[in-house]
Amino acid sequence: MRFRDVEIRKLSDTMWEIPREGGMRVPGLIFASEAMMGDIVRDEAVRQVMNVAHLPGILKCSIGMPDIHWGYGFPIGGVAAMDAEEGVVSPGGVGYDINCGVRLLRSDLTVDVLRPKLRELVGALHREVPSGVGSTGFVRLTAADEEKVLVEGSRWAASRGYASAEDIACTESGGKLPDADPEAVSVIAKKRGRNQLGTLGSGNHFLEIDEVAEVFDEEAARAFGLFPGQAAVLIHSGSRGLGYQVCDDYLVTMADYMRRNAIDLPDRQLACAHIRSPEGNRYLSALAAAGNYAFANRQLLAHQARETFLRFLGMGPSDLGMRLVYDCGHNNAKFEVHEVAGAKRRVLVHRKGATRCFPAGSAEIPATYRHVGQPVLIPGEMGNASFVLAGSPEAMRVSFGSTCHGAGRRMSRTQARASVRGKSIVQEMEKRGVLVACASHKTLAEEIPEAYKDVSEVVAVVHDAGIARKVARLRPVAVVKG
Amino acid sequence: MRRCRYRLLAHTADLLLEARGTDLPGLFSSCVLALFSLLADRRTVRGAKVRTAEVTGDTAEEQLFFLLREALLMFSAHKFLARTARVTIKGKRVTLTVAGENYDSSRHLVDREIKAVTAHAMVVERSPWGYLARFVVDV
Repeated sequence: MRFRDVEIRKLSDTMWEIPREGGMRVPGLIFASEAMMGDIVRDEAVRQVMNVAHLPGILKCSIGMPDIHWGYGFPIGGVAAMDAEEGVVSPGGVGYDINCGVRLLRSDLTVDVLRPKLRELVGALHREVPSGVGSTGFVRLTAADEEKVLVEGSRWAASRGYASAEDIACTESGGKLPDADPEAVSVIAKKRGRNQLGTLGSGNHFLEIDEVAEVFDEEAARAFGLFPGQAAVLIHSGSRGLGYQVCDDYLVTMADYMRRNAIDLPDRQLACAHIRSPEGNRYLSALAAAGNYAFANRQLLAHQARETFLRFLGMGPSDLGMRLVYDCGHNNAKFEVHEVAGAKRRVLVHRKGATRCFPAGSAEIPATYRHVGQPVLIPGEMGNASFVLAGSPEAMRVSFGSTCHGAGRRMSRTQARASVRGKSIVQEMEKRGVLVACASHKTLAEEIPEAYKDVSEVVAVVHDAGIARKVARLRPVAVVKG
Repeated sequence: MRRCRYRLLAHTADLLLEARGTDLPGLFSSCVLALFSLLADRRTVRGAKVRTAEVTGDTAEEQLFFLLREALLMFSAHKFLARTARVTIKGKRVTLTVAGENYDSSRHLVDREIKAVTAHAMVVERSPWGYLARFVVDV
C-alpha cells in the first residue's frame, strides 16, 4: 500500500506500519482492513499520523484508528502517548471539542412498547433537550456556579439533584477530572460556556433512541444491563463553546512557546508545550476544567432526557429503569501508566477521536463492570447502527488502552449536501425506520449516513485486532439532531 | 452589499474555504465575509451597528488567522452578525471594521456552528487575479 512516495507495510489483516522517515521520532501504526486503507490513503490522514510522530517525547508509535480521517494537526481517530517528563502536550491532539463523548442510558422498556407513541416522544425530546446554534440550557449559572462546574464536573450536577450516585460511578473518571483550575480558563471561554450547559450543540452531535438489535457477548451485555429489543438512549455532545475557546486560546499560547523554544514541527496546528512547562501545566488545568464542563453537560442532557421520558410516559423512575450504562469521552489527554519497552511509565495519552478502553480488572472501571472490561460506546452513522464494546487486554499492549470512536467521515460536507439535493432527508430516514427531529436541515444533509464509513466495518477491525470486543449492536429508531 | 468571492473546497471533516481579493485588504475582507456567510444569509443582516477589531501578525497568514479568530468571536461570544466588512493594513497591524447587528432568532437563521478557525494548511498567496487565501474552519 502506498501513500504518495511512502510505502506502508502490512503487519497483519488489521495493522499497517508507516516506517520512520525524516524527522519522525517513532513509526506510524494504523488499524484498518485492506479495503479501508484504500480509502484512508486518499486524504491527508496518513500524512497527519506521520506529522504527529515528530512531536517531542512521543512513545512507541503514532496511532491511527480505523475511523481515522483528515483533521487539523492531528488526524481525527489519532492516539499519541507522550513521556510525562520529557514529552509535550498539544491542544491539537485533543481537538476543539474537549472531552466530547458519548453516554448510553438503558431502560427496562422494549422499543415495541414505545413504537406507537414514538413520534410524539421524539417531538417532546426535541422540545425539552436544547439543540442547535444559539440554544441555551435550562440551568442559569452564576459565575461562581460555573467555576464549580469546572472543578466538580458531574459531581456539581449531583449536588443540584441532576445526577445520582450511580450516574457518577458510571462516568469515566467519576465525572470529575483532577487538577482542574478555573483560573486557567479565559474570561471569554467562561462567557461562552455560561448559558450553554445542558445543550446538545449542532454538527454531528445528537440524542438518539436505540433498540438493542443484537447481543454478541452475553456476559458483558448482562453486566451492562442490556438485552435484545430493549430501548436505550445514546447522547453525543461535548464541552460546547467553552471547550472550543480553551483549545483556541492555548493553540496561540503554544505557538508562542514553540517560537521561544525553537520547536520546529511540520504543521502549525500541532502547536505544543512541554508537559512540565508552565504553559503545558496551565493548559492541562484548563483541559481538565473544560473536560469537567463536558461531563456536566452530558449529565444535564441525560437528566432532561430522563425527565422527558418519565413525564411523557407517565411512569415512575423504577418502572422506566433508565440508568446510565456509561459515559466516555473521545477527545482528551490523560495521564496513565502504560508499559513501554518492558517498564511501567507514566505517560500522557492524547486521544483525538479515540476512546479509552481499559480491560477487565482495571481499577479505573466501575466495580460492577470490572469482570468484563470498560464499556466503550461507538456511535455510528445516523440510521444504521451504533455499538457497545468492552475493553480488552490487547489494547494495553498495542494502542495505549485506546480504540476507535465512531464511523469516521468519508465524504466532505459539500459532497454530502450535493448528493441529497432536492430530497427530504427526514422522509428518507423515515423510510429506513428512523424518525428524525432536527434544528437545522442544512446540518442534517451534511450528516447523511452515506457521508460516513460503515461503522460495522470499523468495529470489525478493532474487534479482530483485539483492541476492544463487540458486546451489542444498537439500531437507531429516532434521532434528535442539533 | 458586496458579494464576497469565496468557494468551498473538498475537505473530509471540516470546511476548507478559498477566498480571493484584488489586494491584501480586499482578500482579508473577503475571508471575513466568507466566514459570516457560512454562519447566516448576510442579506438578512442589517448593517445597523459598527464593530472594529485590531490584530497584529508577522506574516500575512498570521494576520489573517488572528483576524478571522476575532471575527468569529464577534458571533460566538457577542452574538454579532456582520453584513459588510472593510480591512486596512498598516505594517503588521490589521484593522477590521464590520457593519451588522446582533443575532435575532426571529430574523436570522444560523444553522451551522463554527467551532473555530484553524491555522491548519492556511495559505495566503499571490494569484493571477491578485491574492488568494485558503483556510479550514472546524464545524
